[in-house]
Amino acid sequence: MAVFQAALLNEIEKLYRKKKVLVAILLSLAVIVIGQLVIVGVRSGFGLRGTGSVEFPMLVLSVVVNTILPLFTALVTIDSFSGEFSQNSMRITLTRPISRFKIYTAKITSIVLFILGALLLLLVFSMLAGFIFNANSASFDSLGRTVFSYLVSILPMTVLALGIVLLANIFRSGIAVFFISILIFLAFKVLGLLFSQYSSLFLTTQLDWYNLFLVNSFPLAKIARQFLIMLGSGIMLFSAGFYIFDKKEF
Amino acid sequence: MKFKKKTATLVSFTVGTLLLATTALADIASKSGYEELKDSIKLTAEQTSEKYDSFTMDFSMALKDNGKTIVSNNEVGKFDRKNSASESLSTGLSLNGDKRSSQSYSDKTTVIHTSAGDPTFYVTEYTKERKEEIFSNPFKEEEAEDLEKIADALVGSLKDHVVVAENSDGSKALTGSLTEVQIPSLINAVASFQLKQEFNGNGNQESSMPHLTKDVFVKEVTGSAKVNPDGVMESILGTAILSGKDEQGTVHEISIEALFKVKDINSTEVSKPNLEGKKVIKNVAKDYSDSEISNPEKFIGKFKNDIVIEKDGKFVKVGERTLDITKMDNINVAGRYSETFKQGFENYASDFSELAFTAQIKKDQRGNADFEGTTKSGEKVRGNIYFSEYDGKVNFNIDNMNSPYAGGLMIDSSFSPDLD
Repeated sequence: MAVFQAALLNEIEKLYRKKKVLVAILLSLAVIVIGQLVIVGVRSGFGLRGTGSVEFPMLVLSVVVNTILPLFTALVTIDSFSGEFSQNSMRITLTRPISRFKIYTAKITSIVLFILGALLLLLVFSMLAGFIFNANSASFDSLGRTVFSYLVSILPMTVLALGIVLLANIFRSGIAVFFISILIFLAFKVLGLLFSQYSSLFLTTQLDWYNLFLVNSFPLAKIARQFLIMLGSGIMLFSAGFYIFDKKEF
Repeated sequence: MKFKKKTATLVSFTVGTLLLATTALADIASKSGYEELKDSIKLTAEQTSEKYDSFTMDFSMALKDNGKTIVSNNEVGKFDRKNSASESLSTGLSLNGDKRSSQSYSDKTTVIHTSAGDPTFYVTEYTKERKEEIFSNPFKEEEAEDLEKIADALVGSLKDHVVVAENSDGSKALTGSLTEVQIPSLINAVASFQLKQEFNGNGNQESSMPHLTKDVFVKEVTGSAKVNPDGVMESILGTAILSGKDEQGTVHEISIEALFKVKDINSTEVSKPNLEGKKVIKNVAKDYSDSEISNPEKFIGKFKNDIVIEKDGKFVKVGERTLDITKMDNINVAGRYSETFKQGFENYASDFSELAFTAQIKKDQRGNADFEGTTKSGEKVRGNIYFSEYDGKVNFNIDNMNSPYAGGLMIDSSFSPDLD
């Protein structure tokens, strides 16, 4: 365990030193600021309320979870794998007395922590903006649902990251992985719209699964199915990615 | 050790794939409440338009401002598909506070209409039996499928908000409710903007409709439906609450409620109103839906209109246009067109002032034809002629008519019969 902890710390340190994380934070804040400006504009221009204090974080989440969050997850993931493959720094990591499984897991854990951090940051700042600039519409129930929605979004994002990890292990070039991920992402989005009956097969649909936790009746069966789909595809992508990572020669 | 790791990887991959495949299949097979709602609406439309001999539809809606009814409407429609007869009763409260009610009856040969404000019974009799469908299935229209896809995409993740509860007798209750957090902000903004425009659009001074200017948003949407054991919808109730402030800053909660019921399936009786002792105005309807005019000869003869100019701020008649139809038999049309000007205005006459034309009415184009004519100087002219049986007039348009008409001549292409 101590070995794994050291590897994880090492990965987090590497992640933290990258400019991408800073850019991700700045962009997330920009989304909140722009979103709030749009809402204020709509309010004074069209006489609509736009959003209340609790709806604002939900608006931010619905935008971010489909745009910049997957984008930066992809960038960070590609950096962590393809980047190290091409810089040959992977060799240095591998020479240390640690199994490849632990390195692989540590890398993924650090990515998940990045996603979690980004979500928490967005939650805190969008809530602040929501409460400062919007009419209060909060109730204990809706507040709890909002926080929960942010937290559960980590699951589909992790599956997405695992998918990109697999791609990063198949293709050598980071740019290729990036574009293939974006193409697959868009294709899944479109397919999910066209074949709404089969939309749960496309992993991008699950990005919106936080909506299920907003439903009054709490559709347990649907939540369980979506969770199992994500779990299944997560395990599948994780083991496929590890298989290739384990075989790889550096 | 090496072997073990490979097996573990393979096993976990297989387990993951199986888990994904089975749950995904289960998810595809499971019907969401939204699907059930859609199926039941479709089935109801199909059964009422094709299977049931008779049924009653009851639709009512009310618009309330802070609990006070502003507009209400109730329509009861009784349909007898077997005899192609229907009866409808409509009552309501209009925006300016007037109560109104009207009643109508229709079968293959008669339409009767009366209202509370005017208790005369207007009876229209048809010489030919009409072949109208009493109630047509809207899902059989061409666009229905595409519209359904668009609706599905728009509803998106809201699908899961419809809850189905099955009763012991096989009937189902569908319910759903959305509060402001659950309605996606974009949908909320678009919907509230639309509703705000709609309400403010017909809000004149005397109207009791509040004029919302600030902080408008959709607060809540709820719905419930009852589906009978056959899967046909018995009733569906929807409520939406729009909240907003008027110029004085008073908060208004405008609620819209709509209730739709289908009842008395196969036991509805449509009865013709008893006209004895009532004031009745009868007329015999002409059938304008045929592809041909029934007696085209009536259009043979002269049609006229005035040539008018605007001079010194007044309308002045400077002459007459005459259309002389010499032949008209639903296929071939021939005639002459001429313009005569009063003394002092002769210089308004142009090359187009006299021409002879022929036209052929195209198949199924009731009374409508493109003509071809020659002017006095032998120039070819094209245009369109339309025989309107409805108002007994002829429309005659020469293409590019505007250009040769200088000097402020007013264009009038509608000709009335010259009966003097």
